[in-house]
Amino acid sequence: MNKLCQYGHLWGRNKSCLGVAGLACVLVLWASACRSHRQVRIAVIPQTEGTLFWEAAHTGTEDAADPAGIFIYWKAPTREDDVEAQIALVDRVVDNNYQGLVLAPDQALSLIMPVRRALAHGIPTVIIGSPLPIPAGGNLSYILNDDVDGGRLAAERVAGLLNGHGTVALLGINPDITGIMIRARAFEQVLAQNYPGIRIVEERMGSFNVPHEQQVAEDALRANPDLDVIVALMSTTVDGTLSALDTTPERHSVKVIGFDDAGLPPFDQKRSLDSVIQEDTRSMGQQAIELIHSRLLGQSVPATVHLHPKLITRNNIDTPEVRLMFSQDWTLGRWRWSSAQ
Amino acid sequence: MKLPRSLRRRILAGLLASLVLALGFIASRAYLHSPNRGLPYRDSFAKGRANEWKAFGGTWELVNGVMRNDSDERGAKLLSGSPYWRNYSIEADINLLGISGDAGLVIRSANEEEGVNAYSGYYAGVRTLDNALILGRAEHGWMEVVKQYPTPGGIRPFQWYHLKLLAYDCQIVAAVTTPSQATPTSLGINDPDCVHSGRVGLRSYSSGGIWRNVLVRPATYQDLVETLKSGRGPGDSEARDTALPDSESLGLQPRQEQQKANVRSNANTQIIASLRLTSFAMPATATVRGVVILTAPLLFVQDSTGGVYIPQPTAPLLKVGDEVEVTGEVHPGDFSSTLEHAKVQVLWARTPVPPVSVTASQASTGRYDATFIEVQGRLAAKERGPDNTLILDLDEGPQSFRAILNPGRSDYLFSKLKLNSSLRLRGVCVVDAAFTRNLTPFVLLLRSNEDLEVLAGPPWWSTGHVIAIVIASLLLALVVNFVYNRIAHWRLQGVLEERQRLAHEMHDTLAQSFAGIGFQLQAIRNGLPDGMPTLHQQLDLASNLVRHSHEEARRSIATLRPEALESEDILSALDYCARRMVEGGPVQVVSEREGDERPIPLRIADTLYRIGQEAIANAVRHAHPTILKVRLTYSGNAVCLQIDDNGTGFTQGGGLLGFGIRGMRRRAESISAAFQLQSKPGEGTRIQITASLPPRMTLVSWPKLLWKYVWGHWIDGRPTKHADSHSYRG
Repeated sequence: MNKLCQYGHLWGRNKSCLGVAGLACVLVLWASACRSHRQVRIAVIPQTEGTLFWEAAHTGTEDAADPAGIFIYWKAPTREDDVEAQIALVDRVVDNNYQGLVLAPDQALSLIMPVRRALAHGIPTVIIGSPLPIPAGGNLSYILNDDVDGGRLAAERVAGLLNGHGTVALLGINPDITGIMIRARAFEQVLAQNYPGIRIVEERMGSFNVPHEQQVAEDALRANPDLDVIVALMSTTVDGTLSALDTTPERHSVKVIGFDDAGLPPFDQKRSLDSVIQEDTRSMGQQAIELIHSRLLGQSVPATVHLHPKLITRNNIDTPEVRLMFSQDWTLGRWRWSSAQ
Repeated sequence: MKLPRSLRRRILAGLLASLVLALGFIASRAYLHSPNRGLPYRDSFAKGRANEWKAFGGTWELVNGVMRNDSDERGAKLLSGSPYWRNYSIEADINLLGISGDAGLVIRSANEEEGVNAYSGYYAGVRTLDNALILGRAEHGWMEVVKQYPTPGGIRPFQWYHLKLLAYDCQIVAAVTTPSQATPTSLGINDPDCVHSGRVGLRSYSSGGIWRNVLVRPATYQDLVETLKSGRGPGDSEARDTALPDSESLGLQPRQEQQKANVRSNANTQIIASLRLTSFAMPATATVRGVVILTAPLLFVQDSTGGVYIPQPTAPLLKVGDEVEVTGEVHPGDFSSTLEHAKVQVLWARTPVPPVSVTASQASTGRYDATFIEVQGRLAAKERGPDNTLILDLDEGPQSFRAILNPGRSDYLFSKLKLNSSLRLRGVCVVDAAFTRNLTPFVLLLRSNEDLEVLAGPPWWSTGHVIAIVIASLLLALVVNFVYNRIAHWRLQGVLEERQRLAHEMHDTLAQSFAGIGFQLQAIRNGLPDGMPTLHQQLDLASNLVRHSHEEARRSIATLRPEALESEDILSALDYCARRMVEGGPVQVVSEREGDERPIPLRIADTLYRIGQEAIANAVRHAHPTILKVRLTYSGNAVCLQIDDNGTGFTQGGGLLGFGIRGMRRRAESISAAFQLQSKPGEGTRIQITASLPPRMTLVSWPKLLWKYVWGHWIDGRPTKHADSHSYRG
């Protein structure tokens, strides 16, 4: 009789055991799946993929990631002013549990909350290019372009061109990018302190819209017939200004000093273009990955690193140092196995 | 027709209860509608409390213990009190903040809306434009009477006036005086088609104002006469004797407002947005024109291109909505500029500008820095900040921001705000790190609690509510289960009672009839002569048939009667049943019990009893045993009934499985019990029924039982035997 009574219990117990065993199998499979993805994954989100400007940084990140076996997730908005898209990308990185985040912010204020969320999830984060108003420390580091130095370089170049006397237009002031404001202030400070004979006769806000920047440059040229130099603080402003000068041949004497060109500066095609002050984005990307890797290994890392920009002129454009800044050589990256036979 | 006494008692009790309820309703209604409820009323402005006041326009805030409206809005109102107040007076000290309007008191107000004269009631105020005391009626329109103020200098801003407004029946009286004035100025109207009741209010028209010592109290005809005669009724001194700060200590510095003809405006003004392009290296002086959008804690001025922050200006008393010209030293910032060492000149007193409606993501870009905006958000947290300021943390989409309110009138609203509520806020957007502390992209500085609107409360589907629903559902399921079991039990009880009734009926009719017929047959047989053997034989046969039928009837009666089962356990009942069946015969009945006896649910007990009865009856009728054993075994969560006889037995599968055995199997299946039949010719018969019992509930066993229950009902989809048996627990 007892056996009869126990059959039912055994069946019920078997079902329970089956359930537990199934759950255990799922956990084991999940754990093994996790083990197979233990490769470090770092997300790199530059300002945009719409131009070639950040491709050097891409090369730099791959250079640093390849020896360490790190997987780089490279994604960015198609435009620099698509802030919402960049916020969504940062949030996706947080949700997908990446081991690190490298971000070149499109907007100084709007990215505060997404970056704070990433930090709250314990993701080591490196801001490259232009800073955010969040103090460095903990999991947050900065690898920034030295925009004070950039402003100083521009001012001294203007002074050299004008021999201490002349007029300048400062175009492309964009408060969304803190670095641009820093370089604009530094430019003004150096001119005011060291070169009082040079006057800034025009200051205009900038945007990521080239036709608009061209319109602004044309207005500035019309309003200032004796203008000597235009300093374009953004790459779109450089393009717009050069286009404006193309349409006004009589103003070819006006020199343009630009910032952050997307590729090698077209000195041959654009005679008005005097020089370009270029961020070393390749080093930024490389050092950002190395910094996160060091942090993941438990090593101490610097909170803030400033990289000096490079003044590129017709004289030094072909030097190896400059060529390396713009290099997009992928042979050292993850595609090296696919060599042609 | 005479009603039963109990029914009459019930009707009487119902009537009394209805009467008590009606009286309670009438009393509470009379109390709520009382024309004197809440009177006398004295404000608590000095204590920083004004929760009972509701604003319609303006920027009403408690500042230094007085109520202040810093807005030039026409007809801004702040209302309080009962809509049923009828004959009463309101008085207060009033200070005007501008020369181009009036400020005063409202009485018998109803149907209020935001708007210049958007209410029904009476208003009295002091007006600077014509130095007059005015009194009139608003009915979403305006009719007034005016009396010039006789004192030299007339009505001036930044001076305290004591204003009293009294309503008695359809007579309305206003009187105004200053502490230094010996003779008050009074004014009265008689409105035949008057507004009979309503609330009180403070109101300003294009001037802003300050109110203190608000006192409302019931009025009599004598008060009316006194006020009209002297401007001062009995006890008026009570309202004015309270010492409060004067104009200077309140920081009220008269401003030199200028009429249009006197305005000397700077010709070299520039738009506010252009200030950001001023040289960083060499601060320049600039002049801008704009509208004041915030005066405290900081002064902000906005034009159509943006806003500017003016720290520590040299300025007269400014109100939100003032159109001003500001000249100062420009310090451009990333998103807006600052005018330092600025001098502010009031051009016009106008109504405040409306906010720009933006999303939090748009405001997070900094483009609306120093601009008056409207934004929505979900309340994530609230706390008190420095100087007891009220701080709200809000989320909208991927962005978060903060809103800062001044304490005072906002305290009550702040305490009532529920987390996760959807809010609409209007305020000045600031991205300066001094406010944001770099925690959020921007901070919203609210002017008053009217700038905060609750769009919707927190979503109902909170964690707490979900847990409550689960618990309530479980409780409901338990209740339903309990009720279902009780109904099943009552149904079974009804069946048993019906059987008992049938047994009684059969005993009283059929059995008695059989006994009577047998007796009569025996009497007939005894009366017949011995020489009729055939007839004797037939009568004996008839008597035997009657006796046999009588015994069958008795057996049926014994089977139907449930008393034994009710009063004793199954084993005793079956033992009793077996002994009655074999009564007078050679069969020996043996009953045995094993294991720890425990309660058996009624349905299982009844089924086991019926099967046992059938087995005993079969043995007695067909097997001719000498020993009949009844054994009941308790083991774990099962009970086993076994009936053994040493009778003739039979061959299983030999066509002897009749209706009785099939019935026993069906009964066993109905309680999910195992039925076993063992028999061989000459070796007797054994019938065994094993039924599961509901498990014992202990602290250790209940999680296991719960798991089995859940598995059986929701995962496996099939109820377990235990669960089924449990549901019939007796």
